[in-house]
Parts: sequence; C-alpha cells; structure tokens
Amino acid sequence: MRDAKRLREIGVIAPVALLFAVSAGFVLLSQRSPSRLSLELSWSAPSASFPFGNGDAGVDLLALVCHATLRVLVLATGVAGFGFLIGAPLGAAAGLTGGSFERWTLRACDLVQSFPTFLLALAVLSAVSVPSRGHIAFVFALTAWAPFARIAAARARSLRDAQFVEAARALGVSRTRTLTRHVLPNLLGPVAAQAGTSAAGVVLGETALGFVGLGPPDGVSLGALLEQGTLAMLRAPHVLTLAVLAIALVSGGLQLASEGLRRWVRGDAL
Amino acid sequence: MLPQPEMQRRTRSWSSGLSRAVLGLAGRGLGASLVLLTLASLVFLSMRLLPGDMTSLILGEQAGEAERAALRARLGLDQPLALQYVDFLWGLVRFDLGDSLARPGTSAFSEVARALGPTSALAFLAVSLGTVLGVTAAVCAVSPWLGARRAWVHRGILAVAATPLIALAPLATYLLAVRWQVVPLPGDPEAGFVGLLFAAGLLGLPLGAQVARIARAALLEEVHAKFLDVARAKGGSLFRVWVIHALPPASGPIAVVVAAQLGALLGGAVVLERLFERPGLGTLMLNAYASRDVPVLEAAVVAAGLLFVVAQSLAGAVQAWLDPRGQGEDA
Repeated sequence: MRDAKRLREIGVIAPVALLFAVSAGFVLLSQRSPSRLSLELSWSAPSASFPFGNGDAGVDLLALVCHATLRVLVLATGVAGFGFLIGAPLGAAAGLTGGSFERWTLRACDLVQSFPTFLLALAVLSAVSVPSRGHIAFVFALTAWAPFARIAAARARSLRDAQFVEAARALGVSRTRTLTRHVLPNLLGPVAAQAGTSAAGVVLGETALGFVGLGPPDGVSLGALLEQGTLAMLRAPHVLTLAVLAIALVSGGLQLASEGLRRWVRGDAL
Repeated sequence: MLPQPEMQRRTRSWSSGLSRAVLGLAGRGLGASLVLLTLASLVFLSMRLLPGDMTSLILGEQAGEAERAALRARLGLDQPLALQYVDFLWGLVRFDLGDSLARPGTSAFSEVARALGPTSALAFLAVSLGTVLGVTAAVCAVSPWLGARRAWVHRGILAVAATPLIALAPLATYLLAVRWQVVPLPGDPEAGFVGLLFAAGLLGLPLGAQVARIARAALLEEVHAKFLDVARAKGGSLFRVWVIHALPPASGPIAVVVAAQLGALLGGAVVLERLFERPGLGTLMLNAYASRDVPVLEAAVVAAGLLFVVAQSLAGAVQAWLDPRGQGEDA
C-alpha cells in the first residue's frame, strides 16, 4: 500500500525521463541533423516528411527541437549535479560545526543568491569572443551551489540537535558512524530535491540567454528556436507554438520531478 | 493612569523599529556595495582577459596597426592592468568611463542615462501591477467573499507561478497582438502607453503570482487571529476586515518576495525589450556586448547592478521596518 503510493509519487519523474529518452534516442538513431539546411523549405508548415515543419533557412525543426532538448537537459542536470556536489558538503559542514564558519557560509550564500544572473552572465561571457555551451555552464555553476548549501546547512543544524542523533551519541556510537548512518541519510534527501528546481531554473536561464543572442553559436538551443518563432510570428506561427510547447514541457517536467522528489523524501523525514 | 505608558511603549517601539531599519540598511548597504564592486570588477576583468586582441574584436581583423594603437591608447589598454583598474574605479566614482565607441562624442554614462528611462518605467509599472494583482488575488483566495470558488483562485495562482515568462510572453503577444489584435504591438512606436502597459503587465504577471502565493500563506496564518475576530465582531465589512486589518501584518513577507524577484524582473525586462524591440537598458547592454562597446557595456552593467542593489536594499529596509521580528541576529 505504502509502496504503491511511493511508486506513484516517484512516477512524476516519468515525463522528464521520457523527454530525455525520446530526444536521446532521436539524436543517437536518426540521421536528421539540425545543421542540415534546405533553403527552399524555409518556414514551411509541417508535412509528412517534416512532421514539425521547417524554420529559418529550412532547418528541420524536429531535429532542432530534439537536439536542443537533449543538450539543455544534459546542461541542466550537469549544473544541478555540480551544485549539489559543492553545495551539499559545504552546507552540511557549516550546519554541523556552527559558529563563525556557518555564519560566513550563509553570508556567502546570501551574496551569491542576490546576484542578478543576467548581469553576471553578460559580465562573464564578455571574456570570450564567442560563448560556447561550456562557458554558459560555467556561468550557471558559479551560483548553482548556493541554494544547496543553504538547505543543507538548515537541515544539518536541525539534525545536529535531533533526538535520535543525541540518542545515538548517548548509546556510544562513534562520531563517524553517527554521521554516516544517522545524519547524512536524513540530510541528503531534501537537498537532492532542490536539484529539480535548480535544473528547471537552468533550462529557463539558458533559454533566455539563447533568446537574447548570448546562446551557443551553433544555434541549437530552445532559446534560438524561440527567437526564430518570434521573428516569423506572422509567417510561420507553428515555429513559435513548437518553441513555447518545448520550453513549457521541459521546464514543467523538471518542476514536477522536483515536487515529486520532495514529497518522496518527506516520507523519510524526521 | 493606564493609557500613558501604553502610548509611550508604542512610540518607543516605532522609533526603535525605525532605527533598526536604518542599521539594517547600513549592513545591507555594505553587502550591496560588495555585490556591485564584484560585478564591476568582473566586467572589467572579462574585457581585459579576453583571449587575443580586444582591438581586433572591436575593429575587425582587417584593421591597420595604427588604428589599433590609437584605440588601445584611447581605452588605456597600453597601461599596466593595475593602473587601468584604478582608472576604471575612479571613473566609476566620477560617473565617467569615457566616450562610447559606437557613437563618438557621447559619453558612456549619458547613453546609459537615456536608456534608463524606458527600463525604469517598465520595471516600476511591472512591480506596481504585480503587487496590486498579487495582493488582490491573495485576498480573493483567502477571504470568504468568493466562497468555494476560492480554491480556483488558488489553482490559478499556482498555474501562473509555474508558467515561465519566456514561454508566456511570445505566446501572449502572438495571440493578443497578432491573432486577435486587441492590443498594439508594444514595440510599435505609436503604441505609446498602451504598449508599455501590455509589456509591464506581462512582466508583472509572474511577479504577481509569486506575491499572491506568499501573501496568501501570510494571510492564512492570520485567519484565526484574535484581532480579526474583534474586527468581525464589531461588524466590519469584508473589505475592512481583510484589507484594513489583515493585510498590513502580511506586508513584510510581500516586501521580501518582491525583493527576491527583482533579479528575475531584470532578466525578464531584458527579454521583453528584445522581444518587443523596445529601447532600454537591456537593449543597450546587448548591443554594447555585440559590438564590444567597452565603455558603454561597463557603464550599463554597473548602472543596472546599482539599480538592482538599491531596489533590493530598499525592499529589505521596508521589510525590517514593517516587521522588526527576526532582525535581532542580523543587526
């Protein structure tokens, strides 16, 4: 009974997993490529051979949307994973030790989280002549660790004084064992649930950068697709529709997954 | 006997709240200047550490050596980095970073000042609209006025909060301005105030949803407060009970959420300016980035950062003033 409920809760990861599987399968198996252009098909509506139609310079929109989705998902997971790897240990250490280390870590989080992302991206991306996907990932990674550290610190602080941790200590369990068996498992869940939220934020951020022209130079991004859509709003509304749908699905799927993860780990909580 | 000490206590708490807000403002000012200095140093360093020759990026590969040397001298690139940095900081203090490269003869900061007007109008209108919309939605979602339909208001709030602006804005523009033609295209110079209002509405909508979520939660905490019972027992109207009595204690969290959304608002403003091809700070920054107009880009990033941290500090101070709780550890 409880397992079935848990299975249902974890099932909300399905949409984003499906998006990933479909786009990865397409990229690996299909011969279609977003770099092949056929000018005579520019802005043509969906047809049997091009199910999503064609965009600027006749780019195959099916290939473009699949490649862009896969790349943005990989970027978002990578950045969220990096943020988790840096932020969680830092925050946990801060929350467990307390004192001035904790205070300074939280101050640093405040500072990093109060940065306007767009200005930071613009300032950092001026250092390269053409921004690549790696540079964009770097910009997001600069600030990605802060929310993880903040949650881990708050969680570690409450775990430090939790009764079952105190009980373990009173029973003579060693420090390391208390940490690995009692503190860490209860700490990681809520922190990991932040990953979905962070990843959704990265997807929207990358899309916005691509839209205003700060995206990857090959133009394979949801933001570039959206820009094509807005440029050809009058001629080819199908491009805009596709772009809006793709963005909503990817970011919505990630948000749903993070909500599910959060509910799932709440079952474990104190 | 009784009223007098009561009065005194009230005035004292009022003034101590104010002084604490000032203290908090000073602390926040320090953090804010740190953010600003980091941002300014980053944009300065990025431009100088650019691999290869910055002058060839600005002038193009074919530029002659004499031209490059002249540009280098003009931007001070022939001096040591530390000296350039000191010059840059001094320039910031004096609001003078030299002339724009794209439009010789106009100073970089006057370009920024010209772009600041449309962007601040857009941002100010968006914040006002978002706050009014959000608070109205929250009151509708909590007060008994709508009865069982309150749940739908809440669902609507959640739906709007989950909709990304970057997907919503182009879609709404297509449907409202192109397909049904009920609003003018905001990029159209003839659209005037209606265009500005449409753009600000789009920008304010996600902000409004966040405000509504937080305000609803804050109002729900007060549903069972004694002072609301008293207001109800005195026969106060729904409007009086919820807007005059319940809303003011909930305004602290609202100020916090507005402050937290300012970064998103700035990013959103850049996206909307690009979408509607409106003049403004975002358009200026993107153009300066594309043509590597170094003085203008530096000035614009610093000005946008300044606007952002000032707005954020103000919102923080308003919150500290409205709700002095939880400030003890901070001050």
